[in-house]
Amino acid sequence: MPVPLNSEQTAFLQGPVSINVAATGGDGWPVVCRAQGCTVARDRRSVTLLLSARQASAVLAALGPNRAIAAVFSRPASHATLQIKGRGAARVPLTAAHRACNARYSNQLGAELGNLGYGSELVQGLKQMLSASDLVAVRLSPDVIFDQTPGPEAGRVLARA
Amino acid sequence: MKPTLESLRPCLDGAVPSVVATSAPDGTPNVAYASQVHYVDGEHVALSYQFFSKTRENVLAHPYATVQVVEPGSFRHYRLKVHYLRTETSGPLFEYMKAQLAGIAAQTGMEKVFVLRGADLYRVLDIEAVDPQLPPAPPRPDALLRLRHALDHLGVSDDLAGLADRALAALSPAFGIRHALLTMLDESGAALYTLASIGYAASGVGAEVALGEGIIGVAARERIPVRINYRTGDYAYQAAIRGANSNAPGIPLPVLAEAHSQIAIPLAHGDRLFGVLYAESEQDAFFSHADEDALVVYGRHLAALIAQSACGPEDPEPASVQTAPPPADGTPLIVRYFASDHSVFIDNDYLIRGVAGSILWALLQENAHSGRCDFCNRELRRDPRLPLPDFGDNLETRLILLQRRLAERCPDIALEKTGRGRFRLVLGRQLTLLSG
Repeated sequence: MPVPLNSEQTAFLQGPVSINVAATGGDGWPVVCRAQGCTVARDRRSVTLLLSARQASAVLAALGPNRAIAAVFSRPASHATLQIKGRGAARVPLTAAHRACNARYSNQLGAELGNLGYGSELVQGLKQMLSASDLVAVRLSPDVIFDQTPGPEAGRVLARA
Repeated sequence: MKPTLESLRPCLDGAVPSVVATSAPDGTPNVAYASQVHYVDGEHVALSYQFFSKTRENVLAHPYATVQVVEPGSFRHYRLKVHYLRTETSGPLFEYMKAQLAGIAAQTGMEKVFVLRGADLYRVLDIEAVDPQLPPAPPRPDALLRLRHALDHLGVSDDLAGLADRALAALSPAFGIRHALLTMLDESGAALYTLASIGYAASGVGAEVALGEGIIGVAARERIPVRINYRTGDYAYQAAIRGANSNAPGIPLPVLAEAHSQIAIPLAHGDRLFGVLYAESEQDAFFSHADEDALVVYGRHLAALIAQSACGPEDPEPASVQTAPPPADGTPLIVRYFASDHSVFIDNDYLIRGVAGSILWALLQENAHSGRCDFCNRELRRDPRLPLPDFGDNLETRLILLQRRLAERCPDIALEKTGRGRFRLVLGRQLTLLSG
């Protein structure tokens, strides 16, 4: 039974956070990609990560029924960070809601970084990179949630299935 | 064509955090932010190790990782396949990362966990551009051109005082640097003292920094350039560190209260360290990797010129000594000398100590005794009362320091250059000399 996210974590994962997703490839190498947005299911027991098929090809190739993936979410303004891990993540059909989420996400993360003083070139590059035409959706049910906020407490388990 | 690691150096300044993906032996991945991905050379990077993390646990068991870095001017992403080699816990790489981490820690909200336990060294096996279609970052200023401009402005000078001032002045038109110090290693090799500065309300000439303390002291001890790109809350890396002896009277370093970028460049020629060039800015990430390269070359050139200036022939000793005119009447200045640290106080205000203090005291005593006002470096080198080292070229920098300190704090006592290795003591007031 996957571990549910609490309401605070749910809001955090869908806010202006940097999202990066890792998996272990068939050859044993860890692979990583940036995600393009995230939605949390109504029951808070699964998240859907939006990825660019081309940018995330290695991560997508590493998905499997018994294979684990990890996703880290970090808010640039506060450095608050969460990592979730789960097994059996799989592609799901892309919906209009996913596309809307991607557009909203790209704007809010761009605005967040702009407010922090990152230059307009970076913000434009971010919007370009996070507006992939080859968007795919991957659903992950977290087995464990970690506090990954920088510091000696990073890695503390917040919830485990 | 694959990108080279050199071309990714702008990604490795900590502006946009990098992420590291690792795998546990059972295949469970981990993805975490790296405080610091440091460019070591064309084939290696080093990651900071502050506390034992899942990333570290994983690479010790399975030494392969993927590091994703971001170019700050474009948001282009690159993935580095890396192989963990070893952890260094001392030496130049460790010290550089320790200093730089202090700045990055502040930028990433990690002020309380910036203690570096080790520098984890990785070989870079492959580099992948994630989205080659994204436009590149706008070009940065050409550091080689900046270096050339700096050398053009530096010009030719065989006079050490002029060289010191021009070396700092040249930084402004060439690199846009508005705040900088030139510090010189003292005779003991345990501290550096400020010889010249630009861009501060008080010159800070004479201010000392202990070897190994602050960014200047670390650059000197390790003989490495140190560049910090963000404001650091870490006290140890603020340049405004008091000298080795905090009980002694001192002159504060005239640095910015909140520098957002700092760089310290050793001035070494051959195997000899002459001092450290320090520059800072109120802007984040003011100095690029390429600026560091250019300033390292500039520092070596400067050190060679300093070495050359010390080798020039000195004028012969004055054939006949002149007698100074008696100073005008008025309240005499009280000059007090403490032999224990060679410190000199004027009317109870600290002026200087060490070699420069003992030189001043010897000159004033000689003048009071014989009325002589013309002196030369050669006789000072022979004077057994002066704590001078075997190599005598530090004498010139000490005289410049003394001359500048007097000009700032006590214009009634002046040293005027009268030739190569010759100078004149000019007194504007009567003096009362007290010892102890």
